[in-house]
Amino acid sequence: MSDNKVLKIKDITVEFDGFCALNKVNVNVERNTIHFFIGPNGAGKTTLLDIICAKTKPTSGACFFFRKTGGEVKLTGMREYKIVGEGIGRKFQVPSVFVNLTVMENMMLSLKGNKGVLESILYRMTAEEEKSINKILETVDLLDQKNEKAGSLAHGQKQWLEIAMQLVQKPEIIMLDEPAAGMGKPETFKTGEILKKIKRDCTVIVVEHDMDFVKQIADRVTVLHEGKVLVEGSCLEVLADETVQAVYLGRGGERNAEN
Amino acid sequence: MKLKKQGYNLCFSAIVLVLAAMPLLLRAGVITSTSFILFLGKCIAFSIVAIGLDLIWGYTGILSLGHGLYFALGGYAMAMYLKLQATGGKITSFMQTGGMTELPAIWKPFLSAPVSLFLIIAVPGALAGVIGYFIFKNRVKGVYFSIISQALTWAAYSLFTGLQSYTGGNVGITEITSVLGSIKGAANMGKMSVLFYISLTILVIIYSLSYALINTKFGKLLIAIRDGENRTYFSGYCVSRYKNFIYILSAVFAAVAGALFVNFNGSITPAQMTISYSITMVIWVAVGGRGTLIGAVIGAFLINLCDYHFSSGEMVEIWQYILGAIFVVTILFFKGGLVGIVCDQIPSLWKKNPESGVVVNE
Repeated sequence: MSDNKVLKIKDITVEFDGFCALNKVNVNVERNTIHFFIGPNGAGKTTLLDIICAKTKPTSGACFFFRKTGGEVKLTGMREYKIVGEGIGRKFQVPSVFVNLTVMENMMLSLKGNKGVLESILYRMTAEEEKSINKILETVDLLDQKNEKAGSLAHGQKQWLEIAMQLVQKPEIIMLDEPAAGMGKPETFKTGEILKKIKRDCTVIVVEHDMDFVKQIADRVTVLHEGKVLVEGSCLEVLADETVQAVYLGRGGERNAEN
Repeated sequence: MKLKKQGYNLCFSAIVLVLAAMPLLLRAGVITSTSFILFLGKCIAFSIVAIGLDLIWGYTGILSLGHGLYFALGGYAMAMYLKLQATGGKITSFMQTGGMTELPAIWKPFLSAPVSLFLIIAVPGALAGVIGYFIFKNRVKGVYFSIISQALTWAAYSLFTGLQSYTGGNVGITEITSVLGSIKGAANMGKMSVLFYISLTILVIIYSLSYALINTKFGKLLIAIRDGENRTYFSGYCVSRYKNFIYILSAVFAAVAGALFVNFNGSITPAQMTISYSITMVIWVAVGGRGTLIGAVIGAFLINLCDYHFSSGEMVEIWQYILGAIFVVTILFFKGGLVGIVCDQIPSLWKKNPESGVVVNE
């Protein structure tokens, strides 16, 4: 199983002005799985994603990415746009699509390919590329809106558009920060189904609070607490774990009971 | 959407046609003052800078408060060539005052017309390239970029006023004619018309180039950078390279404009390099409507036409305050400027009215 590793997070420590956001975190992510990072607020989940895509620099430790074609890449220290070029896509917590461009233009900018200045000036979309965009838009149910401005989409649709923008890059890893945030139950479920489809072609890393969503699709779950890995295992193992219940789920459970 | 774009281009065509008619009207005697045509020539130059500024500010969201620097560099390069034409390649009076007996080395390339034309574009372009490379690579943005662009302009201003024997100091380079010779007065009407039409052609070329550019993937990326720089990085683009490219392009446009301006103005002074002059350029774009090329052109013409009429006579003292007030009101309430008012705000009023009418009828 360990041969099928796509991402290795090794001894990552991050300190912000003395505050330790992550403390010696070690996680391996396997190919073609949906890997969840859960934990209470401030556990360091988003920071961990920031580290992987080089938005934040770790104080110590490093991340390694294993290409499908073979070969190991040290992500720590690389420029973020080069990491994207390696095939690691990131969706942010707040939907960040280009609001003044149409859905189609948003997708076009995300296409894999040469991203130099001159190439962009001379670029013409090929029929093949248009077809692949249409196919992905169909997966996320946005085909009818393709000529609308992204800013006019509903919140959930923006989230899906951003996922679609990651998919069109044909990434090996796609990282999603709370993809179901602000979505209703049916929308969340649909997002889950979309992710299940995606997992056939790439690895999905998700940060999420919604436990139903985790139960729906998780292959593997890592629980973070105060910057450390508390437990790691399959969804059922993690849910059954007593410490996890105490620090995280228990609280959520109480809250649910009150409601 | 398509209709709107066609509208912009129609509007631009109309402006060009009106301008093209001006020298003919002068010849027919409808317009009596030749200086008004000279003034319109300067306006053409201004609208070229405005297009450049609009590309970098309106489309890419980078507010440069220092484009006067590139405008003046283009202007000085042109003026140096023209001055040497006027003196016949000999040293100028301000060099003599500075104690020089020979033409300084930096003036020598301007003896040749092709080299001068090349330098008009190359010097500001290269300077913008170097400045942009460091600024954008280090991800300086927003207000910090604006401050740096101002500081650089100020530094260049000090340099140009300080090096009196090389640049003419505070007085600048004066007593020059256009590339075609003198264009002042009724006797030189023909030459003036030719120069005017050359400038107009350059404006049309620059507008068309910019229009083509913003409709490519590159143009969409500029908007993407404006709306979400981070997202653009995480879509795999080296944003700093794009920013630098558009910065260089707009600097080159400014330089071309400066070179045209000198031909009509007959002099260049460090006043064109001041910060307030650079900010005036930003006002043209804001009032006309940023984010649309036509807005920049309209703004440049409109503000300068007002300036032309009000800066002499009773309004002279109060005009600067009015201009300031217009700028503030535009920024606060009409982000799209005049174009925004015509294309978005008025139609949305129209849409509301029929609805309320229906309610009343019921």
